[in-house]
Amino acid sequence: MRADSSVLGGWRHRERGFTLAVAAIFSLVVLRLFYLQVVQGARYRELSEGNRIRVEVLTAPRGEIRDRKGRLIADSVPSFTVTIDPFDKAYTRNPARLDSTLAMLGPILGVDVEFLSEKVGRERKQSFLPIRLMRNVAMKSVAFVSEHRDRLPGVEVESEPLRRYPWGPMASHLLGYVGEISEKELADPQYADYLTGDLIGRMGIERGQEGLLRGQDGKRFVEVNALGRKSELLGDKRPILPKRGVDLTLTIDLDVQRAAEEAFEPGARGAVVALDPTNGEVLALVSKPNYDPNEFSTGITRSRWDELSTGGNYPLFNRAIQAAYPAGSTLKPFTALAGLENGAVAPGTTFPQSCTGEFRFGSRLFGCWNKEGHGRLAMNDAIVRSCDVYFYQLGLRLGLGRLSAFMSRLRVSDRTGIDLPQERRGLFPDENWYDRHFGTGRWSRGVALNLAIGQGEVSLTPVKLAQLAAFVGNGGTLWTPHLIRDTPPRGLRAPEPPDSLRLGVPVGPRNLALVRDAMAAVVSDPTGTGGRARLDSIAVAGKTGTAQNPHGEDHALFICFAPVESPRIAVAVLVENAGHGSSAAAPIARKVLQAFFHPAPPESAGLTAVAVREP
Amino acid sequence: MIAPRFSSDIDRPLLAATLLLTLVGVAFVFSATAMSSSAAEHGLYLRQLAWLVVALSAGAVVAAVPYRVYEGKTAYLLYGIGLGLLVLTLFVGHVGLGAQRWLAWGPVRIQPSELAKVATVILLANQLSGRKQDLTEPKNLIRPILTAGIPFLLVLKQPDLGTSVAFIAVLLTMLYWSGLPLLTLFFLVTPLVNVALSFFLPAWLAFLGLLAVVLYRSRIRLLPLLLVVGVNLFVGIATPQIWNHLQPYQKQRIATFLDPGADAYGAGYQIIQSKIAIGSGQVVGKGFLHGTQKGLAFLPEQHTDFIYSVVGEETGFVGSGFVALLYLLLILRGIRVAHRARNRFGGLLAVGMTSIFLYHVLVNIWMTVGLAPVTGLPLPLLSYGGSSLVASFLQVGLIQNVAMRWREY
Repeated sequence: MRADSSVLGGWRHRERGFTLAVAAIFSLVVLRLFYLQVVQGARYRELSEGNRIRVEVLTAPRGEIRDRKGRLIADSVPSFTVTIDPFDKAYTRNPARLDSTLAMLGPILGVDVEFLSEKVGRERKQSFLPIRLMRNVAMKSVAFVSEHRDRLPGVEVESEPLRRYPWGPMASHLLGYVGEISEKELADPQYADYLTGDLIGRMGIERGQEGLLRGQDGKRFVEVNALGRKSELLGDKRPILPKRGVDLTLTIDLDVQRAAEEAFEPGARGAVVALDPTNGEVLALVSKPNYDPNEFSTGITRSRWDELSTGGNYPLFNRAIQAAYPAGSTLKPFTALAGLENGAVAPGTTFPQSCTGEFRFGSRLFGCWNKEGHGRLAMNDAIVRSCDVYFYQLGLRLGLGRLSAFMSRLRVSDRTGIDLPQERRGLFPDENWYDRHFGTGRWSRGVALNLAIGQGEVSLTPVKLAQLAAFVGNGGTLWTPHLIRDTPPRGLRAPEPPDSLRLGVPVGPRNLALVRDAMAAVVSDPTGTGGRARLDSIAVAGKTGTAQNPHGEDHALFICFAPVESPRIAVAVLVENAGHGSSAAAPIARKVLQAFFHPAPPESAGLTAVAVREP
Repeated sequence: MIAPRFSSDIDRPLLAATLLLTLVGVAFVFSATAMSSSAAEHGLYLRQLAWLVVALSAGAVVAAVPYRVYEGKTAYLLYGIGLGLLVLTLFVGHVGLGAQRWLAWGPVRIQPSELAKVATVILLANQLSGRKQDLTEPKNLIRPILTAGIPFLLVLKQPDLGTSVAFIAVLLTMLYWSGLPLLTLFFLVTPLVNVALSFFLPAWLAFLGLLAVVLYRSRIRLLPLLLVVGVNLFVGIATPQIWNHLQPYQKQRIATFLDPGADAYGAGYQIIQSKIAIGSGQVVGKGFLHGTQKGLAFLPEQHTDFIYSVVGEETGFVGSGFVALLYLLLILRGIRVAHRARNRFGGLLAVGMTSIFLYHVLVNIWMTVGLAPVTGLPLPLLSYGGSSLVASFLQVGLIQNVAMRWREY
């Protein structure tokens, strides 16, 4: 009743318009069917019977990586990849055929047949994509596959960029490597745009800057005929061209890096970090033993992987940022600074107990490294000669509270925030820490003695030590170490490192100068422990350290910066189980400084040719 | 139960088209799964037949009760149940194809969004036939927009873009049918167009120009004018801003969500394979059960979303054209029923149900023939799936209900 009394009254008149719209929609469907089935029908019939359509991924080359002087340290070269399409009609008709194909391919590619069938079984979920059986296939195998195409249905040879590190194992830890993405990562929405078999950066810059370096893969649909010839499928989807990854320039100086790497004895374990104290740029970052990242680019066998990741010396482990060691005596300059800043001692203060080679605290006896004793020393000499007894007493006078409070101002227990993944934090324990771990009141005041000389529960990463050395050198600024130089997009160079990387710690300039001068004397003074880091032309300031190691021989440490007055480089060296810092670590630092201040001319340095790695 | 004077007015062509399409559906679910490598799929056509019994009974029941009982409070009750199920799905739903779309109850799994669509149409019909029906008054649009907007957002959250847009499509169709001025309809659609175009500056500017011209010539009142301009400017400027602040993987997700064919290798591949299947059917097809593109794992959803490509391959232009014509018949009869009904609620009910069919058929068939992106919507009556089948029969039952009682005011 009420319907037609509507103000509009015309609600029925919409029927015609609606009918017309529906008719138009269906006309389009019928026209489209006519086009697909009648006009193009024969072609599609042919496609459905003989030829295969597949997606060809056009892998984008990763961005290149260069050192601060523009020398290439990672690039991409063309290579051949052998793929298989397990949904080729030969296999969907007769699944057993797949096994015989793989059995034939195994010897050609030089891999276990089981490795291949396991890979196919795991990756056959995405029916539209061929599976990459093997990367970087030798020319001979490529020729064989091409010749025996009729017996290897669905097998193709594709060209793909291969990640190459021209210097081999050099800088392996800071670079990282690339490897196939894992099942676990594929399930993570963060990696939604990766496909099975895609390469992804692992560790180092490759991992940390994956988003920039990776670029964007392209794709195209190709039609493969019975002879294996490919042609682009016209009139369907346009090919999407690959977008090359962003090129990166690092702060690394290959000369310094190389000197640091070569300074280690073969088979030695340890780490070197060299920083620019004026801005936190990383000049070299070494972890030993190292590995050749090229091994991973082509895909690595399980047994080789096990060997690298767990076997013996853990070569994949980045000791420069992932390992924290007791700082040993390299911490003494900072304990001294804590004493001065807190007013616990003056520069000339001496303690009641002179050093006799040992120090009695309660019922316990704490030894000095020098069994003959140093006698009664003030701060400067205590640092120069690294007297433990002086620092035991300074630690006691300061107490754990003041000592740990000062260390937390230096962010000793924090990560440096270096732009590499998986950095570990260090530790300088405070009262809460002991309460939590030992039980409230169940630890002795004597812990401060050990902490004052960098032993006990204190542990620091080599990169943190380098940051602290730079801190003394540059007059009180903690710079976040970083390796990425140009902030992309390309061309726009940041003239000044951003303030977010700078953390000024307010310390008295006079106190800092006292410590700095003492560190200079460590190297220059005949009684100093760091004489083996001395350079002819440039004044070096440093501090040795020997970290007690309950599991074996002591770790040797050395931190330094140079020139003393306005440092341009700060270095931390750690050598595992090598004994004294003065004899094992200081000489390595010297070679690093030498390479930095007196770089050999390029010709003689042998840093021009890539010939190292030619087969 | 149904008095003869009513049953004589059953729309026979509509009934015939429905039953024929259903039988075609069971046959091709059988064909699509018979050769499947997974044995679990072989019996699916039997399950589909079992669902058909449920669907037929449900359709008969909703056809028998005079449709006026769905008016008023019942409409709100049904709508409330529908929303409740949708909310429940968000919390305890089962994940299928990356979205939470299902509610499981023992062995039975239902997709509440299918039922929510029917309930939403009933409530919209109720609201648009009520007293506040003067749609030239913008504030009368608020309730219908909310009615469709809430389930739209709930389904979008699952996320199921294809199904959620159905609520908007149904709303617009029903507003159009109710006599909403075309100009107002245009203004309602503008923010959506805006979002889509805001990434492409020239197109966006051109669209804004067009909008300005229309606004200038429309002489609408100041407040609605400011509203239209404000909403459009906000949407157009905010969309790229929000986009730029998203994480790369979030962008990737949204891009795949909006247009899986654009970037996902799989979706583009599916479309090509679907086109090859349909095209290779040529004029008369390869014969029932003789399709070669099935079972090659080319189209994993062949018995559900891509069933029309099996029809096309095996029965050719003749068969797939015939199926398309059956859908055309079904929809045109639905419009006729709506037009003929004397009661405004009845007419709107019929047109709303018909528009659900239209939207699904349009999006699904256009997808399989490569005219629309992959969205994952089933083809009503043909695709395997109990909820979709039951919902389709509820829709047909309600249209028949109106057909039988067209004389009533």
